[in-house]
Amino acid sequence: MLLVLSEEHKEHLGFLSEVDPAVVGESGRIAVEFLKKGSNPKIYEGAPRKLNVWSGSVQHGLEGLMYLLTESCKLTISEEDFQDSVLVLGFSEELTELLLQLYLENRKEIRQILSKLAPSLPHYHSLEWRLDVQLSSRPLRHQLKPTVTLKLHLEDGARRSARVLQTDPPRCSISLTSWSERSQSSRAATAAASSTTSNRSTPLYDTTAVHSGSDLFA
Amino acid sequence: MRFRFCGDLDCPDWVLAEMSTLARMSSVKMKLLCVQVIKDLLDEGIDYDKVSKLTSDAKFESGDIKASIAVLSFILSSAAKHDVDSDSLSSELQQLGLPKEHTTGLCKSYEDKHSALQEKLREISLRLGRLEAVNWRVDYTLSSSELKQVNEPTVQLKLQAQDPETDSTQTTVVSITADKFRVLLTELKQAQTMMNALQ
Repeated sequence: MLLVLSEEHKEHLGFLSEVDPAVVGESGRIAVEFLKKGSNPKIYEGAPRKLNVWSGSVQHGLEGLMYLLTESCKLTISEEDFQDSVLVLGFSEELTELLLQLYLENRKEIRQILSKLAPSLPHYHSLEWRLDVQLSSRPLRHQLKPTVTLKLHLEDGARRSARVLQTDPPRCSISLTSWSERSQSSRAATAAASSTTSNRSTPLYDTTAVHSGSDLFA
Repeated sequence: MRFRFCGDLDCPDWVLAEMSTLARMSSVKMKLLCVQVIKDLLDEGIDYDKVSKLTSDAKFESGDIKASIAVLSFILSSAAKHDVDSDSLSSELQQLGLPKEHTTGLCKSYEDKHSALQEKLREISLRLGRLEAVNWRVDYTLSSSELKQVNEPTVQLKLQAQDPETDSTQTTVVSITADKFRVLLTELKQAQTMMNALQ
C-alpha cells in the first residue's frame, strides 16, 4: 500500500534534496531522537545558521521526516511501497536509499513507541479477599449470612486505585466460573492473534454479578 | 502433584525451578537467609548487606539473590497461610528436590516463627475502614441563641478511621445528646456481649 503525501508535505520534504546527504543522515538521526524523546527547539535555532537556510525549512523538513516515518511505521509498508511512495518527491537514488535505510532500521522501535499512545483502561494489579459470616445486626439477631468482601487493586499508568466489592458466596462462585471460562477463551484468542498485539491482560470483572460495598456499614 | 503448602494445588513452576538455586548455597547460609526473609515478612526489616554476604560464596548474581528471597518468602508465607506443620513441609520440600540439610534448616526457622508469621498475616488481612482512634469530650450547654437556659449535657466523639478505598485517614466528629448516647451505649454493650461469647 502506497503512502499518499500531501502537497504541503512534499514541499517540506523538498528541503532534504537541497542539502548534502550527510545533512540528510543527520536530520534522520535527529528525527528519530525527536520521536523517542520529544522535540528539542534548540535544534531549530542552531542548525539553520550552520546550513545557511531559513529556520522554518529546517523545522518543516524535520517534522516532515518524522511524519513520513510514523506513517510508514503505522502501516508497516513494505520496502518497495516505501520506495514508490518516496519516488514522487523526485529525490536522487542515494537519498531514497538513505531514507529507506532510516525507515528499516528504526521501524521496530517506532512501532513500539506508537503502541504506547493507544488509550488504555486501568488494569488489574492485585486482589485481596475476606470471607465473613454475619451473626447479628442491630435489627436482627441469630443470623448466618456468609459474605465475601473483595478489594480490587487497579493500576492506570502510575496511579493506583482500589475498589471494594461485596457479594454472597453463591454469586461469587458463579462469577468465578464465568471468569475462568473467559480467561481460557481469552488465552486461546491471544494465542491465535498475531504477535504484534499487546499482551497486557485486560480486566475481566463483570460488575453485574457483584454489588458495591456501601451497605457494609449499615 | 498437590502440595499442602501450596494450598492443595500444584507447585508453581518458578518455585520448582529455584530449588536448584537454593541448593547452590550451603545449608548453614541458607538457614541464615531464611532468618532474614522471615524478618522481612514480619516487617522487621531485611538487611541486604548481610544477604549479599551470605550469597557471595555461592557467587549469586543479583537475579539469583532476588529469586532466592522470592522463593523463600513464598514457601514460608504460603506454609503459614495454610497452617502446614513443619514435618509435612519438610517432606514436601524434599519431594521438590531441596536437599535434606537445607530442608531441615528451613523447617526449623519456620517452626520457631510459625505463630509470629500467622499473627502478622492475620494483621494484614483485609479490613475495611479500620478505626484508628477515638476521642471524646463531655460538654454542658448553658445557653444558646435560641434558648436562654439550655442546661443539657452532650458528648462529642471524634472518630478517626481509614477510608476503605483510598487507605487515607478520615476524621468524623459527631455530637450526641444524652438520650441518643444512652441508646448507642446499650446497643454497643449488646454487641460486646456477642463478641465476648465468640472469643
